[in-house]
Amino acid sequence: MSAMVCEICRESIATVHLTEIVNNTKKEIHLCEGCAQEKGVAIHSHVKNLSIPEFFGQLVESRDGASESAAPRCSGCGITYQSFRNSGKLGCPECYVAFQVEMEHLFEKIHAGAIRHRGKVPSRLDRSLRRKQELEELRTELMSAVEHEEYEHAAELRDRIHDLELEEQCS
Amino acid sequence: MQLNDFSNKAGEWMSGTGPESDLVISSRIRLARNLAGESFLSRADSNVRARVTTQIHEALEGLETEIGSRYSDLDELGGIDRHVLVERHLISREHAFGQGDRGVAYNANEDVAIMVNEEDHLRLQVLRSGLQLDATWETMNRVDNFLEEALDYAYDPKYGYLTVCPTNVGTGLRASIMLHLPALVMTRQVDKVFQAVTKIGLAVRGLYGEGTQALGDFYQISNQITLGKSEADILETIRSVIPQVMDYERTVRRTLLDTKRTVLEDKVWRAYGTLCTARIISSKETMEALSLVRLGINLEVLSEIDLRTVNELFVLTQPGHLQKMEGVELESIDRDIARARFIRSYLEFAE
Repeated sequence: MSAMVCEICRESIATVHLTEIVNNTKKEIHLCEGCAQEKGVAIHSHVKNLSIPEFFGQLVESRDGASESAAPRCSGCGITYQSFRNSGKLGCPECYVAFQVEMEHLFEKIHAGAIRHRGKVPSRLDRSLRRKQELEELRTELMSAVEHEEYEHAAELRDRIHDLELEEQCS
Repeated sequence: MQLNDFSNKAGEWMSGTGPESDLVISSRIRLARNLAGESFLSRADSNVRARVTTQIHEALEGLETEIGSRYSDLDELGGIDRHVLVERHLISREHAFGQGDRGVAYNANEDVAIMVNEEDHLRLQVLRSGLQLDATWETMNRVDNFLEEALDYAYDPKYGYLTVCPTNVGTGLRASIMLHLPALVMTRQVDKVFQAVTKIGLAVRGLYGEGTQALGDFYQISNQITLGKSEADILETIRSVIPQVMDYERTVRRTLLDTKRTVLEDKVWRAYGTLCTARIISSKETMEALSLVRLGINLEVLSEIDLRTVNELFVLTQPGHLQKMEGVELESIDRDIARARFIRSYLEFAE
């Protein structure tokens, strides 16, 4: 890109290039640093916080606008796998499911071939899984109790199921 | 919120009292956690941030009575106070100068710190003096279990704890041992150690973590892999290499003493002399001198000061702490003057 002159002062070299998209029309603005600051463009904090992949990511995104929109998106937060690759950051827990195949390839590279968690299980989840299992067993038992006309036992089972369902809702 | 009572005292991890304190400054474990059903912070608008903060606040209130932690909203703290928290390893630099609703909860002896809305919704940290990975993990696990009773973590049975960056997924655990390796640096053998450590999947970083310089001959050895291994296995990998690194450093120290005692003693005493007499001293020169004095104490070349004092000076002479003590923002040269004065008074060489 050849050197451009600032659109405001028409004196200094424009070093700040902004792209605005208004009503699907791309508009480019070129400013010098002084005018950019005056206009309230927080150039310093912006540049400082941008990592190299993020920086290149923005370039890629603005160029590949069309292909971006066709790529599959995470149903949870709407990002594409490409935008994750550019920033290195996922958008929400759902992304792990939405980009499962790509993520597992990546895990293999990052985590020495591993794709499966072998560590801690949250104790609350552990309890909830056990509760679900117990509920299933109780329901099967209830059916069989009803079939065998053991109504007293069935009533006990029904109360126990009711209690567990309440616990599940409240947790 | 003010941090007044805090800048001239040091956290427990700087005490120099833990196991292997001659070589190991601290053991640190951190866990990355996110809340289920919410966007990660990379995509969170102010509403999500506020919801996340509210949920975490409630959970942290319970923890307050458990470990005595208190929460600070970072936007309510001044720039100097935030520097102080970074220098004390309670928050990351990114967190200190980030944007949006965010904070940190930590307890009085500063061994537990919880960053809220850093890269992940929660970053839990336990920091202890010397080499004590088991005790550090025990506390970390207890804090995590406690919070998990109140919070619904983003967790997948197959992938474990879900994090913003896939380099943390699974256990979300990063354990780091901070080592002081002056003899290996002096004899230019430190790179050999790091090549060996890197080969078994561990990383070596500087004093303040990722991308920072190895100031004062401090290095952190930490795990890279967080998925596919249990927490215990990750800790075991680190535990298995630390003794070898320590042995290497100790051997080189002994060789230096045997073959170049006077040269070494001269370096140590000159460094001590600088600290006791300088009128202007930069942060870098301070770190270098403190590193030599620390080596001198451990080799019994010098007994004028103790390990705790040196460890504390590493932190208290940083720019944030100096400015906090002076009560004003200082230009670089004024900081160097204030630093020299502070060191002299700390070592009782003030006029």
